[in-house]
Amino acid sequence: MNNHQEFTDVRVFFSKTGIAKYISHLDLYRTVQRALKRAKLPVWETQGFNRHIYLTFALPLSLGTQGCRESMDMRLVSPLPFDEMSLRLNNALCNSIRILETATPIMKHTMIKKAEYKIADINIETFGEFLNSEKIEVEKKTKKKKTLIDLKPFIEGVKLNDTDITLTLPAGNDFNINPVLLIEGYKNFMSEKERALVAEGSLTRTRVLTADGEEFR
Amino acid sequence: MIDYKSALDKVLLNVQKPSRYVGGEVGAVYKNVEPVRGESLLRFAFCFPDTYEIGMSHLGLKILYSLINSVPHYWCERVFMPADDMYEAMIENNIKLYGLESLEPIADFDFIGFTLQYELTYTNILAMLDLAGVPLLAKDRHYPIVIGGGPCACNPEPMAAFFDLFVIGEGEEVTLELLKLYEKFKARNAEKEEFLRAAANIKGVYVPSLYDVKYNDDKSVKEIVPIDSAPMPITKRIVEDLDKAYFPTNFVVPFCDIVHDRAVVEVLRGCFRGCRFCQAGFIYRPYREKTKETIVSQLSRLCDNTGYDEASLTSLSTSDYSDIEGLLSQICEYTNKNNIGLSLPSLRVDKFSSQVLEKIKSVRKSGLTFAPEAGTQRLRDVINKNVTEADLEKSCRIAFSGGYSSVKLYFMVGLPTETLEDIEGIITLIENVIEVYYDVGKTLQKAEKAKTKIRPVSVSVSLSTFVPKPFTPFEFEPQVSKEEFDARRRHLLSLLNNKKVRISWSDYDESFLEAVLARGDRRLSDVILRAYKLGCRADAWGEHFKPNLWEQAFADCGVEPQFYALRKREYDEIMPWAHLDMGLKKEFLIKENKRGLLNE
Repeated sequence: MNNHQEFTDVRVFFSKTGIAKYISHLDLYRTVQRALKRAKLPVWETQGFNRHIYLTFALPLSLGTQGCRESMDMRLVSPLPFDEMSLRLNNALCNSIRILETATPIMKHTMIKKAEYKIADINIETFGEFLNSEKIEVEKKTKKKKTLIDLKPFIEGVKLNDTDITLTLPAGNDFNINPVLLIEGYKNFMSEKERALVAEGSLTRTRVLTADGEEFR
Repeated sequence: MIDYKSALDKVLLNVQKPSRYVGGEVGAVYKNVEPVRGESLLRFAFCFPDTYEIGMSHLGLKILYSLINSVPHYWCERVFMPADDMYEAMIENNIKLYGLESLEPIADFDFIGFTLQYELTYTNILAMLDLAGVPLLAKDRHYPIVIGGGPCACNPEPMAAFFDLFVIGEGEEVTLELLKLYEKFKARNAEKEEFLRAAANIKGVYVPSLYDVKYNDDKSVKEIVPIDSAPMPITKRIVEDLDKAYFPTNFVVPFCDIVHDRAVVEVLRGCFRGCRFCQAGFIYRPYREKTKETIVSQLSRLCDNTGYDEASLTSLSTSDYSDIEGLLSQICEYTNKNNIGLSLPSLRVDKFSSQVLEKIKSVRKSGLTFAPEAGTQRLRDVINKNVTEADLEKSCRIAFSGGYSSVKLYFMVGLPTETLEDIEGIITLIENVIEVYYDVGKTLQKAEKAKTKIRPVSVSVSLSTFVPKPFTPFEFEPQVSKEEFDARRRHLLSLLNNKKVRISWSDYDESFLEAVLARGDRRLSDVILRAYKLGCRADAWGEHFKPNLWEQAFADCGVEPQFYALRKREYDEIMPWAHLDMGLKKEFLIKENKRGLLNE
């Protein structure tokens, strides 16, 4: 087998919306692998004993959160116009996952430091009050223990819109705050009466950003 | 429907593996519900009374789903039994059972179709009808039409009260005939009964309400009388030419992991071996093969369309395919080229030449499995299982030489004429297999002059309780009693003292209920309904099975389960399924029964 195969790195940007929010990260990985096979794209496969298509995601999305512009990296072993790559992959994927663009990667995954989220289906006023609290303490679960963490200092760029709220949280491999924590905090903040009346909130990751607030490319 | 979907949205993030409940997979079929050119959409809910993971692995579902959807104005959707958390959430939030594609309640569909795969899923069928919000009893229902098919439909009598009709035999042709007929009646808003009377004239369609069952004083069936000149007997449907039978070119490819997540093609139907306990071996007759060309083209097309990197062949006994060597080498040409793994469950290794073994080396070994079923040659002759100890030894030798170090053996306990000697034979057989393993290991060591240690062998033995089934030569035989079963089990365990052997037993109470339902009559509908009302559901899911509630249900209905399971039936007794013709003459079953039991 040729271990010194030439390849080109490509970054594929996609959206994962609607029912796709119920697809877990592991299932998304498998779904894309099969789509690449169906589309018969010339993608590089790892050359080990258990050959599989090389595929890596910049920032996994948690179950239940939609994504407007997510990205995954793979390698092409023969040249292919980026537009054709996007088109063929789109045809092989389900409707709830759409390819937006195929491009040459510019940044490294480690440059991701923040992400912008949109929170909809909530009472904007109550949520605004919640964000104005002095402390927003929630339980953060790691593999072994639960720790109490104050989210307040990490929330940036809050914008209250007519029907939703946008804000930015730390993201990336070093330090990541899952916005689901914020929703949990919000649920605790609401009175019981409000909880029964108000929808639980739906989350969308709108942008993946660098430390300077530049969009990840 | 917006409100309904948002109700669903609210519960889905609080249940395990929510992608099972939303459809939208690649390959899922979507249609426009608005009438196109005046033709309104016929809606069909294909219900599998078990979880998504199990139902989505079922080839029959894939075939009928694609078949119905191949008609432009028919829309078939998938429906599965929700797992506990989702089941409870749906009840709590008043979410009615819905089709995975449209997410719309199936109560508004034209047809609700269930596959009857296994007796212990019967309460799930009631749970699903209830969750759908349709009346459980056929007589209380107008539309939708509730239909059933699958292997257990060869004696559907215990479920007769809940179904409008059953399809007996293979569904590839009769399903569309039935739907076409229905369209005519739907167009003029006909009563359900009128449609059912017409449907009964389609070969293979059984409408239970058109037959009256009379009983003797001893509770056995006296007579089955057709009403309104309904056909008698009802003859099962078969597809003559498997090459021409409908087979899908695409599967729905699930997001989550399912039991069998791969492309699969059926290579043959039926079985000519005639093991006397095996219902599938009799009811799926005659034996028919697909040609190699058909199999290879169907498999490659499926892999191309689904993107699966694993493929498999299925049938009752794939090794029996007449040119299995030729078939496998053709398939391997495709799979090797496209980096697709081929997995072949329980192939007989002794049938292959070394050249072919070399070629299919890439085939994923799914573990070595043998089913001698009985411990002694005498009992294997009784059940007509044509495997000798020499065969088993030969196969084990080949497999162990090829590097296998674990083996799975299947046996049944409680077979007709079985004695403790046959139970002892199981132990002897297991010990012989272990001996062969170390013998092969030593020979290899010598040949390679290697000092490497022989890996320890692991033997798993699975023991199930024999369940007599309709349309087999053993349909007359009693099931073994619990006391007797326990005695045999104790005897076997007392003889076994080898740590390399892992033994698993099927639950007697489950097998007993299976035996009751398998050979039951219509009077059991009351019991099943009562058991469901008492809280029985998902009886096949181990922890859910509640034998005490079933006991109560039998008592409440004044029905003795032993009457169905533990009684020897005379050759001249009228069986509850006597009006169904599965292409097997009763004289043949009697002759086979005598050949087995009396060595006649």
